[in-house]
Amino acid sequence: MVVKRRTAIIAAMSIAATIALILWKPTVLIYGLQAAGLYAAVAIPMGLVLGIVHIVNLSHGEFMMVAAYAAYSACKALGMDPLLAIIPTAIVTAIFGWVIFQLTIRRALKGPELNQLILTFGLAIAFTQTINLIFTSQTYKIPLDYVSASMDIGDITFGTWSFVFVAVAIVYTYGLQFFLTKTTTGKAALAVGQNPRGAAIVGIDVYRTYGLVFALAMALVGAMGALFLTKSAIFPGVGTPFTMKSFCLIAMAGVGNIPGILGASVLLGVAENFLRAFRPTRDWAEIVFFVLIIVVIVGRSLKGRKS
Amino acid sequence: MKRMMLALAVFALIAGSAYAQGTIKIGGIWTLADITGKQGSAAAQMAVDEINAAGGILGKKLDLIVVDDEGKADKAAAAVEKLATVDKVDVFMGGMGSGAELGKIPAFKKYGKVVMSTGAAGSVTVEKALGPSPESDFYFHIHPWDYNQGASYAEGWDAIQKQYPNIKIRKIFLAYEEGAFGKSSWDATKILFGGDNRYIVDGASFKSALFGGGDYTSVLEAAKAFKPDLFLWAGYDADALPLLEQSKAMKFSPGIYLGAPPGWPIGFGSSKLSRNVMLYGMWSPAMNDNNPASAKFYKNYVAKYKEEPATYFAPLSYSAVYILADGIKAAGTTETAPLIKALEATKYASPLGETITFKPSNIIKHQGITRQKILQWQGGFQEVIWPFEAATAEPVYPFPAWK
Repeated sequence: MVVKRRTAIIAAMSIAATIALILWKPTVLIYGLQAAGLYAAVAIPMGLVLGIVHIVNLSHGEFMMVAAYAAYSACKALGMDPLLAIIPTAIVTAIFGWVIFQLTIRRALKGPELNQLILTFGLAIAFTQTINLIFTSQTYKIPLDYVSASMDIGDITFGTWSFVFVAVAIVYTYGLQFFLTKTTTGKAALAVGQNPRGAAIVGIDVYRTYGLVFALAMALVGAMGALFLTKSAIFPGVGTPFTMKSFCLIAMAGVGNIPGILGASVLLGVAENFLRAFRPTRDWAEIVFFVLIIVVIVGRSLKGRKS
Repeated sequence: MKRMMLALAVFALIAGSAYAQGTIKIGGIWTLADITGKQGSAAAQMAVDEINAAGGILGKKLDLIVVDDEGKADKAAAAVEKLATVDKVDVFMGGMGSGAELGKIPAFKKYGKVVMSTGAAGSVTVEKALGPSPESDFYFHIHPWDYNQGASYAEGWDAIQKQYPNIKIRKIFLAYEEGAFGKSSWDATKILFGGDNRYIVDGASFKSALFGGGDYTSVLEAAKAFKPDLFLWAGYDADALPLLEQSKAMKFSPGIYLGAPPGWPIGFGSSKLSRNVMLYGMWSPAMNDNNPASAKFYKNYVAKYKEEPATYFAPLSYSAVYILADGIKAAGTTETAPLIKALEATKYASPLGETITFKPSNIIKHQGITRQKILQWQGGFQEVIWPFEAATAEPVYPFPAWK
């Protein structure tokens, strides 16, 4: 009863805030949602790995970077559009992720968590340096007309292409929910994530499931790499900031809470754009990220102590 | 005893002859993963090869030993130590980022060898750390300091408005990346353009794509609301195309759209979005038509490396080697004091379109180039708009509205 009431209050407050923003500063909501879509679409695969395989993959952003370079190379070699490279890149990144998992991460799963962190951190450096050696630190960008698509509403003109990330984030969220709750493999993955020993007793191949989930997450990151190429220039360090941002969004949402990542991303995206919309607070947008994390984690700790 | 004297005489003869046929070692330090360092070091090597093919200097060959500083101050300092103690170089050259250059200065001062610096615009950091003459006299800074660049932009825009009365600039908006580079650009812009109230200056920061940003919507909203005559952005090459794409999406087309990144992304000129974007720089292949030194450099570079020099750091490093070689030739030695004296008399007609000489700057005694150029992307090429004596095209104004 109390939970329902609290949920209703949060929902009412969110709706009121949304209406206020639409009337007062509609661009805050528009750009906030677009930023949220990008954050969530990158963070959700990391949430999947953390929730089921229980490793913090510090090379998450670098996997996206490698995928973006793979997509770029394919686009340049075949003269194709990055959108057409999404599925091939996802497949290649899934295979690459599976191989990396079997060769390295799997070996560290039984070790202390620090070993996993160091291992994935090492992978991140290895990926970045390898790409640096092959492509140098020069940036690459494919100019595309459709990314400048825009819409006019009254006096406001805004870009619409970045809404594609919102769509991807929603598809990822509900697609993964469906996969984890409605399919046999997904249910097995969920069981492995909740209790690996119990899952093994009932006959689920735990390491095969881990490998599959990791490959699936890398496929989603790979698809995002190709899509990211439409909007951004790429260079060896392009993925690195996304690792930390994704990890923090997962920390805000709570491990294993995929829809929560979407919510946390919306909160972050709108808050950042809200601060950027006003001259005195423009430079504070980067700080809001850390403030939100501290508030959420401290709040959760206090709540835990109370209960 | 006689035998010993004979052996010593033979040894002295051999050693003397080896010294005479030896090499003059130049220690070059660049950030090799970056296009500026990659092409800067390649252009310096090309100059060394040309000089050696023509017989070398003082009967000796030049030997360029290149070390990568990875853009980091600690690696740059270690590079100086290695070149001075292991390779025992005679002179130093290279450099791009001010941060890495700052790391080299204590070691440069320790060894006191002549340095021909091709980068580092940060006056507050690098020039201040070098200190005044005579302690910094070994340091020859060819690249302009940030205040030199700012002053030349102000001079350039004044001259352009005088020459082309249809170009009128009253309001300037600077979108600057939130790091040290962008912030120093913002501080300089406020002083140079906003100081005497001739211009109304506003600005806003953005997080560069290079550091995990890439969303320019808020800064473009602020710029659009300000309605600037000149929109200038100070960021990195990673920001160039996404910023234009978002400007197009928001239908933001100021009278002048100008970018000031250290380098442009590969293929930028082939993008439709590059049309009529202005830029600051020192050199462009378009100068080949009216500058024989530029044409010769360009032709040789393309023939040797099968790629175009993409930034001005290539002709700048090429020039640095020739200036050093001419100085050593005039001094007859690589000893610091006579070489400094010889370099002070430098008059080198560079491929950059100007004759390089050394004059005192705000702090140091040996400053080379002080003027930047204003260029514009036209038909996929960088055309020089100002200084008028080096101009290769007329400016296209205003920046056309997006279609």
